[in-house]
Amino acid sequence: MSIFEYNGSAVVAMVGKNCFAIASDRRLGVQLQTVATDFQRVFKIHGKLYLGLSGLATDAQTLYQRLVFKHKLYQLREERDMKPETFASLVSALLYEKRFGPYFCQPIIAGLGEDNEPFICTMDCIGAKELAKDFVVSGTASESLYGACESMYKPNMEPEELFETISQALLSSVDRDCLSGWGGYVLVVTPTEVQERVLKGRMD
Amino acid sequence: MSRRYDSRTTIFSPEGRLYQVEYAMEAIGNAGSALGILASDGVVLVGEKKVTSKLLQASRSAEKMYKVDSHLACAVAGIMSDANILINTARLHAQRYALSYQEPIPVEQLVQSLCDTKQGYTQFGGLRPFGVSFLFAGWDRTHGFQLYMSDPSGNYGGWKAAAVGANSQAAQSMLKQDYRDGMTREEAVALALKVLSKTMDSTSLTAEKLELAEVFLQPGTGEVQYQLCSPDAMGKLLAKAGLTQPAPEA
Repeated sequence: MSIFEYNGSAVVAMVGKNCFAIASDRRLGVQLQTVATDFQRVFKIHGKLYLGLSGLATDAQTLYQRLVFKHKLYQLREERDMKPETFASLVSALLYEKRFGPYFCQPIIAGLGEDNEPFICTMDCIGAKELAKDFVVSGTASESLYGACESMYKPNMEPEELFETISQALLSSVDRDCLSGWGGYVLVVTPTEVQERVLKGRMD
Repeated sequence: MSRRYDSRTTIFSPEGRLYQVEYAMEAIGNAGSALGILASDGVVLVGEKKVTSKLLQASRSAEKMYKVDSHLACAVAGIMSDANILINTARLHAQRYALSYQEPIPVEQLVQSLCDTKQGYTQFGGLRPFGVSFLFAGWDRTHGFQLYMSDPSGNYGGWKAAAVGANSQAAQSMLKQDYRDGMTREEAVALALKVLSKTMDSTSLTAEKLELAEVFLQPGTGEVQYQLCSPDAMGKLLAKAGLTQPAPEA
């Protein structure tokens, strides 16, 4: 049993036309036992920047809290919000600091840049950044997610279509993974609004 | 004067005074003043900008008002470089508390920790004290809106209205006369501007010379808000208070 599979998780982010969507499953398990069905894996850093954390739940929560610490100080000193690219570098640096005793998380960063250009990236648990123009996936359901996204994704989707695509990709992938699922949580962010939606999927 | 006992901060004079601390307070007495007033629905901080040269690059950030955390702000009087160090310390302390307890730091605890730092410089290390006085304004769940004043000795107190910097004695006595419990933020702002206009050295009050900040609860969400007044809004407030005319030539 791998430590990354202890709690079970699925997180995915996709780029659309002047918008992005980030989604996760809602299961928190302790190996085979499901313990919660409303677990939060996607966190807000600021109005246009979101962080999804898959992997060990405790590390996901601690990592998020430490990043809020750093971002709040950044906001106070620079008097502005952090750009997504900068935030990704910060996360990468934070993870590499623990190179020989890492956080067991795989983060997904999704945000709108200065000119509202969507930005997504993921990295491994020691901070190796991977930028993508279309979609990024992580978690125990990542292999299924890769397949689903590859076939369902197309560029320049409007927010409504992006929501449909990411939801279908998420639900169909977590259905092939026993450790993730129990519903979905989708966030679609455009320059003007943020739409949060909870998906009803197979509750198993 | 007992000049022999001036040079070291960490010893008392025969009269039981700490001269370096008092000299620090002298330095603050020459700096731009700052006023704080506690209202029923918020806290108001007003500061006087001492240097307003046309050559100064118009900076987006404030000179006298600083946000320490989402629910805490402070006004500064004294040596700006000393203030920057302390504000940074305060910000870090607030975030470390939030990281450990996942709750915003209570206002008094933050003030106390900063004052503990300041006190250290009056007792050991052989370093001079910080030449800054602060007015902290904030909100927390246990005590609501609060205003604290702290000085280089590390002493602090909770106040309903307080003044630091140049002419603070005069401002303080004026506040004592005119402050009433249960003032609203609007009334507090008007009072602050009135007191400042009488105690400031310059002949007239203009929006460029002042900074105004308010800490209050957002009406819809109930979240604590720190708002720095824009120069236009400042101008309107001054006009409303009837303070824009320059003082008559002597």
